[in-house]
Amino acid sequence: MTNAFTHSVMAQPWGLWWLQMRRLVRIELRRNLFSWKAAWIYFLAFAPTGIIFIHLFVDRHTQSAFTEDTNVLAGIVQFYYIRLGVFFGCLGIFARLIRGEMLERSLHFYLLAPVRREILLLGKFVAGSISALLLFGTAIIADFALMYAGFGPVGSDYVFNGPGLAQLEAYLLIVVLACLGYGAVFLLLSMMFRNPTPAAMLVLGWEAINPVLPSLLQKISVASYLRHLMPISVPGDGIFALLTVTTEPVAKWVAVVGLMTLIVVVLAYSCFRVRRLEIRYTTE
Amino acid sequence: MSVYKHEYRAYTGTLTPLWVRVAVVVRYAFAEAWSSRITATLFTLSMAPVVVYLVGIYLANNALARALVMKGNSFLTINASYFVKVLETQSWLALVLTAWIAPRLISFDLADNALPILLSHPISRFGYVLGKFIALFACLSLVTWIPCLLLFVFQGYSSEQPWLMANLRIAAGLMAGSLIWIVLLSFLGLAMSSRVKWRVAATGVIFAVVFIPAGIGGIIMAILRTKWGLLLNAPAIMTQLWQQLLGAPVSMRADFVLPDAAILAMLAAVCAVSVYILNARIRAREVVRG
Repeated sequence: MTNAFTHSVMAQPWGLWWLQMRRLVRIELRRNLFSWKAAWIYFLAFAPTGIIFIHLFVDRHTQSAFTEDTNVLAGIVQFYYIRLGVFFGCLGIFARLIRGEMLERSLHFYLLAPVRREILLLGKFVAGSISALLLFGTAIIADFALMYAGFGPVGSDYVFNGPGLAQLEAYLLIVVLACLGYGAVFLLLSMMFRNPTPAAMLVLGWEAINPVLPSLLQKISVASYLRHLMPISVPGDGIFALLTVTTEPVAKWVAVVGLMTLIVVVLAYSCFRVRRLEIRYTTE
Repeated sequence: MSVYKHEYRAYTGTLTPLWVRVAVVVRYAFAEAWSSRITATLFTLSMAPVVVYLVGIYLANNALARALVMKGNSFLTINASYFVKVLETQSWLALVLTAWIAPRLISFDLADNALPILLSHPISRFGYVLGKFIALFACLSLVTWIPCLLLFVFQGYSSEQPWLMANLRIAAGLMAGSLIWIVLLSFLGLAMSSRVKWRVAATGVIFAVVFIPAGIGGIIMAILRTKWGLLLNAPAIMTQLWQQLLGAPVSMRADFVLPDAAILAMLAAVCAVSVYILNARIRAREVVRG
């Protein structure tokens, strides 16, 4: 039984699939990163970088501002990137991969090509993930560098001899998981709905009210896993701070594995859906 | 006889009045907006909070019901702050409705290259945009100032004291606050829908142009230590404006309160940019790339 399975796995044309995926990724990357239509995603990613750059030259970087700036950076990642920047960026990138091709009436070319549909879907997902990771990962590194550059030797000491690098690693891990998590969800939504945006807005609402939900429901959320990975947690303001249900802390590896499981399940279901995908351009 | 041998002369019959031509655009825009079941569903959902607030007003004014349901507690006070909550709820539901309806009004015409045909009829670009604007404005009115004023009248009717005349400022504030918001939403919705050809994307962009600048404004406030970043935060500035219009206490920290002139200037600037985008995009031409 095991031998038959191994033999069947080894008999698959892995080389051909790898080649097809590379080609697909290259085409999609060019479209995602080097077209004018993608300019707004650059804006989403690098808007905070521009503001921090101004801060570098305008404000005085006193010792007292150091802790405050560290908290502000944590707030930018927690509230801007996770809730808005990565969310809307991934919505734009991943919803376009399948639904955008349908609107442009070009998806049938891919479906007519001798490529397995799972390879097509995963290739597009990989391309979207690389685009999002390149943009938002670079933005996080730039934000971090610019934030501490103004403090001179104190900032350098904090980064290289203090907890700075560990924080940067945590932020990068959070952004990677956020891009993959939201990407998988939006890719699936774009296949399920003719207009995935209302469903995406429901996801946004779900993520927003997630802290006030019972702890079992909190697990069906991308942001809830990411919250446990934050090196510095910034409390929310307003009525949500009062309503927040404090759940017991989760180990980092549990949060990572939990989110990865969510991504794999969503992608597996997407592969199942794409096999039955039919296009009727007249109704699109 | 060949067509070119005919002599052509200007039409001398009676012309349709301008407002009737605009009304045609309004009528078809309305039909387009309500042709989707999702529009009807969203509208119905938008009325759910009104029912809740209506029950709140009933409970606050009926001693027997209060005794039965709330065990005599009277923490529910119907005042300006209560109506600010009503206005806030309905206004954010109006944003959802805008994100759904506005792209239906404009994007289809643009995506199907129908504008050259539409504008070849005796209607100006201004008339076309005005017609769409009126349709969207009317749809948003149904979920904002109309239910808000109905709740106000119900409170006036239910109250044992001479409440209505003493609180006319709340009614005026509800009207003015709603009108400012739905004018802004209508301009923004139509402009974004004309800029983004795909209806799917336009729906997301309308949400994004409200929430993304709010996030960037928050970053400006935190990093540059200035309250002026708040100007990019539509939810915050509108809440402040509504509270002042209705005469409710301002909930924002005193050092973050912005001058009304700055808020109004910001809203006017957003409308101006939207008009600029509409002027650039609504043209009787079709670009064909070979």
